[in-house]
Amino acid sequence: MIDFQFLLDYYNNLPSLIKLVWGLVGLLIIVIIDFLLYLKYLRSHLRDEEILSKKLFADYETNLINFLYAGNNEIKVSNEQQKIIDKMVFCVEDKFKRGIFISVLSKLKNEISGEMAIDINNLFLKTGLINYSLKKLNSRKWDEIASGIKELTQFEITNVYDDVSKLENHEKQEVRNEVQLYYVNLFQFKGLEFLNNLKSPISEWNQIQLLEILQKFDDQEITDISPWLKSENDSVVLFALKLAKIYNQFQSIDILLDLVSHKTKEIRVKSIEVLSYFQVKEAKSIIKSNFSERSIEEQISFFKMLLDVADSDDENFILENTNHHNFELKLIAFTLLKKLNSKKLQSIIQASQNIENEKIFNYLEVN
Amino acid sequence: MNNLKKIVLAEDNSTLSLLLKFRLEKEGYQLFIAEDGKKAIELIEENNPDLILSDIMMPFISGLEVISHVRNKLKVTTPIIVFSAAGQEEMVLKAFNLGANDFMGKPFSPNELVIRIKRLIP
Repeated sequence: MIDFQFLLDYYNNLPSLIKLVWGLVGLLIIVIIDFLLYLKYLRSHLRDEEILSKKLFADYETNLINFLYAGNNEIKVSNEQQKIIDKMVFCVEDKFKRGIFISVLSKLKNEISGEMAIDINNLFLKTGLINYSLKKLNSRKWDEIASGIKELTQFEITNVYDDVSKLENHEKQEVRNEVQLYYVNLFQFKGLEFLNNLKSPISEWNQIQLLEILQKFDDQEITDISPWLKSENDSVVLFALKLAKIYNQFQSIDILLDLVSHKTKEIRVKSIEVLSYFQVKEAKSIIKSNFSERSIEEQISFFKMLLDVADSDDENFILENTNHHNFELKLIAFTLLKKLNSKKLQSIIQASQNIENEKIFNYLEVN
Repeated sequence: MNNLKKIVLAEDNSTLSLLLKFRLEKEGYQLFIAEDGKKAIELIEENNPDLILSDIMMPFISGLEVISHVRNKLKVTTPIIVFSAAGQEEMVLKAFNLGANDFMGKPFSPNELVIRIKRLIP
């Protein structure tokens, strides 16, 4: 008590500034102690949650497997299956448990096909998980919406097309990507009809994903891609060009010939590449007519095309470009010349004093 | 005396392992489950199984290394079926070169797997 009185007197005699500093120190100590207690609570809470999550995961896994093997061919849902459904309907009311159950279903759905995969889809419907996914579509958070569409895709819910299609032109690309994956995964080539009205761009990554999904299907009969090649949306045209090449759309060659004069450079380059793949000789005169005005990418792309379709009529044009400022194009031009008229190439080699050309000639000698 | 045919299943997806365990035990096989390649090698060495089912992509030791260990180190001809995901075609070819007998692309039907197992160990 005496010591305490001494400290109190000492504090009262201190200057105000020091008193303030001591006050702040005290406050800081209280804050740090609170913070440490909170961290301790948070750590034990997270650990408990992790333990519970593992326990529930194992429990739901067993329930799912029991559900899949409790099926009876004579009736649609056996008594044992109904008991599991009833239990899960109750569980999925809790957001935490619902998340775990969906992850169990997803984990197996990705790995198996056939009747069991259909049974998993049915369980998604019967436990009412579909309603939670649909509710997510109206969320204000874009990641919630994307996750809702992803669930509907994974469990193959085709009858909510109208709800999903409302989000086709959503401001967030991630949501649009999920909508597009929903269409193509569930409606195959027919699902590509969204391209008719698409205002926003399709990301390059999503284009790759869509093409990969399409290649999985047994029915490879593609719908008419002409409207997409004529689209005002550049990304749709670029995607349609990929489809034209993969699915050998020879019937679209006339539109492809128009696209070499498209306002967007990337489309012009890609359409030359597709025409090159189809070896369309008619493209030569169109591109040659304004060759010098075209970008270097288009010029190189065209010369690569000539590697497959050049004939003696192209010799003068190729010869003119052996002096091109671009090294890659010049190399292709000399390669073409070697192929079409090796004597002419030999006479150029003998007369040449250009050091840069020497490298090309040396390369052509051994290749 | 235990006459059940033994199968080692190397698969890191616990739900799929559980599903196959239920199914294959029902068909009369004895299952040993490994959640990674390292555990799979231990189980193979301990139990000398009649068949090995292995995923290609697994933690620690891949399915390819498991096949290589079985064929080159243990020098046994136990039939091996590998599971592969889409886009792992090259891995599947490597698995066949190393000595795998069959493969199934994921997602696969458990019924089809049972048919393939019965063909390899009648």
